[in-house]
Amino acid sequence: MKYILRQSALTLLSFAFLYVLLAGASFLVFPDPSSAGPRDFQAAEQTLYMTVPKYVFLGRSVLANPDQKIILVGASNTGVGFRQKQVQSKLGCAKVSNLAMGGANISEVQQVIDLVHEVQTDQERRQNTFVMGIWFGMFIDSDVKFADGDRHRGETDIDIERYRYGFYRRTPNGPVAVLPPQWLDAGVMAIRPFLLLEKAAREARAGVNLVMTGRTSAQRTDQERESVVMSDADKQKALEYWKETMGRTNDISPAQVEVLKQTIRTLLDSGEKVVLVDLPIPAWHRDASPYEPSYRLALKGLLREFGDRPNFVSLSMDDLDNDLDYSDEVHAKQHLANVWSARLATTLDSFVCQQNPGNAPRVTTLRSSEQVTAAPQVTATPDN
Amino acid sequence: MSLTSPLFFAFLAAVVTAFHISESVIYRRFVLGAANAIFIASYLNDVTQVLPLLAFLALGYLCVSALYLRQSALALALGVVAILCCYVFLKRFSFFEGLGQLPFPYLTIGLSYILFRILHIMVDVRSGDLTERIGPLAFFRFTCNFLCFVSGPIQRYQDFSAMDGKAAVQLDAAAVYAAFSRIATGYVKFVIIAATANYAFTFLSPQLLQPAGLSFLKLCAVYATVASLYTVYLYFNFSGYMDIVIGIGTLLGQTLPENFDKPFSARSFLEFWQRWHMTLSQWFKFYLFNPLLMFLMTWLPSPALTSYLGVLAFFITFGVMGVWHGTTAVFVIYGLLMGAGASINKLWQVACTERFGKKRYRALTESTAYIYSARGLTVAYFVLALTCLWVPELPQFTALVARLGFAGVVGAFAVVAVVFGIAALILDFVQTRLRIPTLAAIQGGEITRNLNLAGKMMAIVAVATLLHKAPDFVYKAF
Repeated sequence: MKYILRQSALTLLSFAFLYVLLAGASFLVFPDPSSAGPRDFQAAEQTLYMTVPKYVFLGRSVLANPDQKIILVGASNTGVGFRQKQVQSKLGCAKVSNLAMGGANISEVQQVIDLVHEVQTDQERRQNTFVMGIWFGMFIDSDVKFADGDRHRGETDIDIERYRYGFYRRTPNGPVAVLPPQWLDAGVMAIRPFLLLEKAAREARAGVNLVMTGRTSAQRTDQERESVVMSDADKQKALEYWKETMGRTNDISPAQVEVLKQTIRTLLDSGEKVVLVDLPIPAWHRDASPYEPSYRLALKGLLREFGDRPNFVSLSMDDLDNDLDYSDEVHAKQHLANVWSARLATTLDSFVCQQNPGNAPRVTTLRSSEQVTAAPQVTATPDN
Repeated sequence: MSLTSPLFFAFLAAVVTAFHISESVIYRRFVLGAANAIFIASYLNDVTQVLPLLAFLALGYLCVSALYLRQSALALALGVVAILCCYVFLKRFSFFEGLGQLPFPYLTIGLSYILFRILHIMVDVRSGDLTERIGPLAFFRFTCNFLCFVSGPIQRYQDFSAMDGKAAVQLDAAAVYAAFSRIATGYVKFVIIAATANYAFTFLSPQLLQPAGLSFLKLCAVYATVASLYTVYLYFNFSGYMDIVIGIGTLLGQTLPENFDKPFSARSFLEFWQRWHMTLSQWFKFYLFNPLLMFLMTWLPSPALTSYLGVLAFFITFGVMGVWHGTTAVFVIYGLLMGAGASINKLWQVACTERFGKKRYRALTESTAYIYSARGLTVAYFVLALTCLWVPELPQFTALVARLGFAGVVGAFAVVAVVFGIAALILDFVQTRLRIPTLAAIQGGEITRNLNLAGKMMAIVAVATLLHKAPDFVYKAF
């Protein structure tokens, strides 16, 4: 037994030595941005956290402060279309963070909001304005949306991050916190050596990709996306993809609509502000998709229910539907993202900062080759 | 209890500590028995789930006890039939659906390996190879040894009994380090290599099962890649598991039999099975192939037929071994493929010996071209036959084969054989030419070897969190 104990001690000591070494290296390579404040979660790749879900889950404690905060949630088109820096540059009164996640459905958006709430006090929560970017592709049930082989059916990317480091444990009733939310930063400190190793593994993979394909990742750059023009075959393929992905023939999931309603209701009831943005998609996609009518109907219901509530406002940008302004069936090109960001900033400025929507400036928008002028369509206003 | 769960490590630490508290054989047997019971209980949600397993064990013990009283061929035959019927019923083979099934969920993990152990005891008691009377607790410790419960290795009772509760392995600093290192290596195989191969396999394989979308050449290439990835996954998953349990066995004073001996260096299909899942192959050799061949030779005593009777015995043995792997119709195909592989290999040996004579044939098998061609063909055959394990449903399996067609299967076979043959040749060349003596010297030091061990552990944790879905042990399903 003494040999076993001795070897166990030696192994633990060696492990501790490597652990401390790696932890030190992680602080050298990625110094901890300890100051609380806005962060561009879309730039996760440049951080120790690597992916948006991981960055959101592990880095959300920066949102625990008494400042006025604007928190963008939604799927990839919210992430791509609303540039954190641009929105922030036009808003002096609040700090903007974009927590949108690629492939998110409404349930996952709700999870992100819950995660933010976990680290905030009631007082801090009242300073939140959630900007929820939605479109029909987010109304997919989790069991359908998250069904690939390397995850447990129905588990979102946020769930995966919850379980990954043991901060939560899986139970038949869903995730249960093992680490209290107030200990989140300590937990993140404890796993820094492993984050560094994972970062190294990802960088190594990017290096292999560079050697094999001449580029580090399959993801297109903004410049590449600017020049994309979808062919008819691409459009057909995209329509088929969404038919397969939605898991329903011609309508969006009513359960997801209910989740959205419940989420907005909870936010408003707790004194938080909500900006619901109906994200535009290219006209060809909107007109050809069988899901658009049921989405419009659901949206109408939402606006009917919440339109008169104080602290709720909606923004529609359906005039920005020029096919050539999109790099695919959903995502705005950079020049259009600038317009989206400007429109959102204008709405937020009047809703959050000036608290007087009547003063909202008109916005000049570039639509492919023509220049159009459009006013932000604010359908409800706060009454305070 | 998953091998990667914190619960398993806590369990392990408790068992090893408890085992070494006293050197009393009775005490240690109690610890091992309790550990087995706790390990099995970890798979249960309800106590009723263990009842069929207990009934199976009770039936086995009854049959063994009956054979001690009456060592007749009839008693053995009746016992074997009873045990097999019970096994087939509990395993819910799809082709015996008419037998019905128990109206509640129950534990089936470990049944296959318990079956082997019970049949081995019965046959050995009948033949007189096992004279030691086995008590019910010893029977439980042997059949349900937690280290071998999920999927072997398949121990002989005689070997188990020699170290049951005794410290058969003398532990010193070197032995304990070797055990720790073996466990860590097992986890590296299991959590890093196998899980990464499985990740890639999971990513690529759905493309094969979709009705359309890939050109013929791309389909063949994807199929060859996916089949190879599955083989890498299976090997490192299984051999990693074996490293882990053999390493733990050392800490508990047990020497468990090895299950793998560089299978991919085999130069023939028959040799491959002497190196892959060795305890299963040996079990089938002792308890099916040898008696079957003896029976056939007695039945058809012509010396001219002996080689061909061997071919037939190989076909039947490997066929049964293949069918044992699963409960659906595709596993019958797997069994036939295994049987065909072994038979063709044996026929080739017989034909070559007849044509060239033993000496020239042996010389031929030692030529470089023959060696690497044979290694490539052996691995390619095995890789493609394993398709039955990852496409276990007949409609999907036949759809895949139909899409590939004869040309696709042959093309994928050729690609795997050529790529593996060339890779093996290059690897062997590099290994024999390039030696790094300093590396061994560096690893010899206590500090560096412990840092090496800790480095493996660090990598295991990092990859386990990166891949996020805890790997499962693939042979658990068989």
